[in-house]
Amino acid sequence: MFELLFQHSPSVFAKGEFVLLGSMPVWVMVLLGLLIAGGLGWAIRARLAKAPSGVSGVRPVILWALQSTVVAVVLLLLWNPAMMVSELKPQQNIVAVLVDDSRSMSLTDDGKTLRDRAVAVLESGLLAGLEKKFQIRLYRAADTLQRIASPQELTAARPATRLGDSLKQVASESAGLPIGAVMLLSDGSDNSGGIDLDTIAELRNRRLPVHTIGFGKLKPGRDLEISDVQLAPRAMADSRLAAQVTFFQHGYAGQKAKLSLRESGKVLASQNVTLAPDGRMQTETMLFNAGTAAAKSLHFSLEPLSGEENQFNNSTTRLLNVEAGKRRILYVEGEPRWEFKFIRRAHQDDRSIQLVTMLRTTQNKIYRQDIDNPAELAEGFPGRVEELFGYHALIIGSVELGYFTSAQQELIRQFVDRRGGGLLLLAGRAALSEGGWAKSSLAELLPVSLPDRKATFHREPATASLTPAGAESLICRLVEDPARNAERWKKMPHLMDFQEIGEPKPGAAVLMDMTAGQRKLPLLVTQNYGRGRSAVMASSGTWRWQMSQPLEDQTHEMFWQQLLRWLASDTPGRVVASTPRQMLFDDGRLALTAELRDKNYLPASDARVEARILGPEGLAAQVELTPDASNPGLFHADWAAEKPGSYLAEILAKRGDEEVGRDVLTFQRQDGVAENFRTGQNRELLEKLAAQTGGRYWQMEELNKLPGEIAYSEAGITVRQAKPLWSMPAIFLFILLVKAVEWILRRRWGVV
Amino acid sequence: MFAFQRGFRSFLEEEDNPAPFPVDGLEKTEFVFARLRYPMMRNGYFGRAGGSWATDYPKADRQFVQGVRRLTRIHTRSTEQVVDLDSDEIFNWPWIYSTEVGRWDLNDRQVKRLREYLLKGGFMMTDDFHGTFEWDVFIASMQRVFPDRPMVELDNKEAVFHVLYDLDERFQVPGIQMFFTGNIYENDGIEARWRGIHDEKGRLMVAICHNMDLGDAWEWADHPRYPEKYASLAYRVGVNYIIYAMTH
Repeated sequence: MFELLFQHSPSVFAKGEFVLLGSMPVWVMVLLGLLIAGGLGWAIRARLAKAPSGVSGVRPVILWALQSTVVAVVLLLLWNPAMMVSELKPQQNIVAVLVDDSRSMSLTDDGKTLRDRAVAVLESGLLAGLEKKFQIRLYRAADTLQRIASPQELTAARPATRLGDSLKQVASESAGLPIGAVMLLSDGSDNSGGIDLDTIAELRNRRLPVHTIGFGKLKPGRDLEISDVQLAPRAMADSRLAAQVTFFQHGYAGQKAKLSLRESGKVLASQNVTLAPDGRMQTETMLFNAGTAAAKSLHFSLEPLSGEENQFNNSTTRLLNVEAGKRRILYVEGEPRWEFKFIRRAHQDDRSIQLVTMLRTTQNKIYRQDIDNPAELAEGFPGRVEELFGYHALIIGSVELGYFTSAQQELIRQFVDRRGGGLLLLAGRAALSEGGWAKSSLAELLPVSLPDRKATFHREPATASLTPAGAESLICRLVEDPARNAERWKKMPHLMDFQEIGEPKPGAAVLMDMTAGQRKLPLLVTQNYGRGRSAVMASSGTWRWQMSQPLEDQTHEMFWQQLLRWLASDTPGRVVASTPRQMLFDDGRLALTAELRDKNYLPASDARVEARILGPEGLAAQVELTPDASNPGLFHADWAAEKPGSYLAEILAKRGDEEVGRDVLTFQRQDGVAENFRTGQNRELLEKLAAQTGGRYWQMEELNKLPGEIAYSEAGITVRQAKPLWSMPAIFLFILLVKAVEWILRRRWGVV
Repeated sequence: MFAFQRGFRSFLEEEDNPAPFPVDGLEKTEFVFARLRYPMMRNGYFGRAGGSWATDYPKADRQFVQGVRRLTRIHTRSTEQVVDLDSDEIFNWPWIYSTEVGRWDLNDRQVKRLREYLLKGGFMMTDDFHGTFEWDVFIASMQRVFPDRPMVELDNKEAVFHVLYDLDERFQVPGIQMFFTGNIYENDGIEARWRGIHDEKGRLMVAICHNMDLGDAWEWADHPRYPEKYASLAYRVGVNYIIYAMTH
């Protein structure tokens, strides 16, 4: 219809440039138009006096406008309007036809594989149509780009799709070849995370349009798919961990499914979930124990449901590096207290934490426990960086601020801010506001604004209650089921004492409240500060949770172990290695980053940092990381994991012969797995790609026009062609329409 | 289990050696010297005066905690708290002192509660029982409490003898009876025995002072005839036991 009215295809108007081919200057046309319009206006005005009574007011103006419009259109036609468009020269240009040959093309759509559908499209006239005008280069686009002679060579068996890389390669080939356009037949699933801006920019620079034809279901069939799992890459041995598993489904809304977590076939956790409505992302938290120290591969899966079309996307893998080393926490207590004893007892079974304590038993004597050697803390609280920074976390009990020198106070601040340690302040008769902490420079570390007054510590009972943030926190998770956990907290015995700690600061998380008399006050508040974290526990009477519950009850132990682990587990070492992606799907390229700190935990660049990588089949490699010139303390290296399998990288920093520190990183390359995910057609990607490069996303029913349309391109060998517009039926219809309207109006107004 | 901690309890009629009630006797503190009130053999709770549980009560308690206050940073109440094993109230008091345990007679429920108390983290110091007969009574009841845990001699390596004071040189601490008998021992308890019961992690739960009378030493520390060396050791032992109980 469009072409019937406008004589040319939409592409001509979209890509062409409007020109007037008439030999006379345009200003003559404008002048003539103005003169004629003026003449018409004068004539109508002159006759207005004798005109029937129906022609008055705005009506003569409407008649004048209609007549002038016709004059303007006629004048425009006299100046020979046209669309100037670049068109590929017949038989001199190449059209690159890229066909997705990855395994996702072997999925079926209405009983036929996507690969077969693509081959059918090509062989049912599309290739023949193109060959009449262009030379055709047929490519298999998958993990690599490969030229093929016939569509029959397509197998849909390649493990991955990297559309961006394939297009980039075609773009670079177009520098030496007259490639006029690219045609891409694909389901749009791409394993490298989409098509990067560089590729789009390169295609645009070469003015190379990409025309896309989509395959695959736009609305997925019955399926469950795990789309993501969020899990910390490292943990302490025996830690309780939480994994956030995100998934969605189609066709099973409201049904139950079983979500499981396995390691080496052993079930670590499993839970039944009720499936959300079709297509809606759903996230469930799975709690599990990290177990013993080792590099672990954790397998998350949803049990397949009956009639599920694709069961390969029901599971995914994440790596977890469970570290063997002990975390050391220093607990400074200002006076013998039951809380001190019971925290020590609660922690005693936790082999991953070493709780070093110093207790002021008398004014001049300190009782030290779990020290490494007789010299440790012999002089009291650490006064030097290397002493304090040797710990991963610090607990300060009923200790007045004045016990610490100014230098020690600054050290505590740097311990949290720079070293990245955890700080926990406990309530007590010399603690927090009672001990003068409210006015100190350390007050900024705390997650609460301490009241600037005394008499905040009360030896009166208070009962703890879980807040919404606490319900989500691993610190307060006593029972895995959230509802049962909340119930458990409601039944906890009361605390022996409490302290008013003021208002939580913005950004702080109140994990527990307490009710004391008629008042509701924050009990446990946490926040991140600098590289570390801080918390305030507004009671020193949790020991009653131990003494007043049945002997076999582990609530008190569990709570304190989880709180201490939270406090110490994320404290970084002097070398911290990281990579943006631990799981490498089909693409082995790996970006390694190491952050290096000196003894004072200031960024250090004066060291040699190398990664010793061990991989599958005895693979071993050494990679040197180079310092980042703009970010002191950061080192980078790029490496490629060529073989699928698990890798372990030990990142070692040395200054001369002295070892500065080391860290361990695990990653895994999996080939052919990502293809099972997002198996519906990614129409959005195909449409965007076409729109950004000047091409078009083609519907199946329009493909017969593609060979003609694809010719409008500025790439390759082109010729500029003028497409005349004067003979467009639409213009004549327009003139007829205007004149008809004028005639009808004149009839109505009695001017005929 | 969910009841709040009870306040000071007075047993005036059972006091063995009355002492003035201090002005701050009702202060709420971290540590309170809790004395165990137990049923006595044959006579129930009420034997002579009040009962053997009340021996030296309350003067010894109040005089000792004055020392605890002066010598340590422990926030200590100036008065004792009398507790028993007949209710869960005892779980609010993680330290208990029991005297003359060679005369006690615990029933099954009390035995069970004492076992739970100690395994949860409570600490018991026993004192002022002497000789073979009283030892046999005590050990018979403690074997009902802990049939699975041995009673052992505490040597000088025990942390309890070093938490504050180094108490390698320990000797028998006699009771006031020595003024009358001239002996520093009672019955056939000639040799002071420092014994204890540990939990499975090696923590001392029960400190057993057999053939000595630390309670008397606290009680009569202000007596001009009572030798200072005995009172001094009794205080230091008591303080060490409390600090141990609050750290292990």
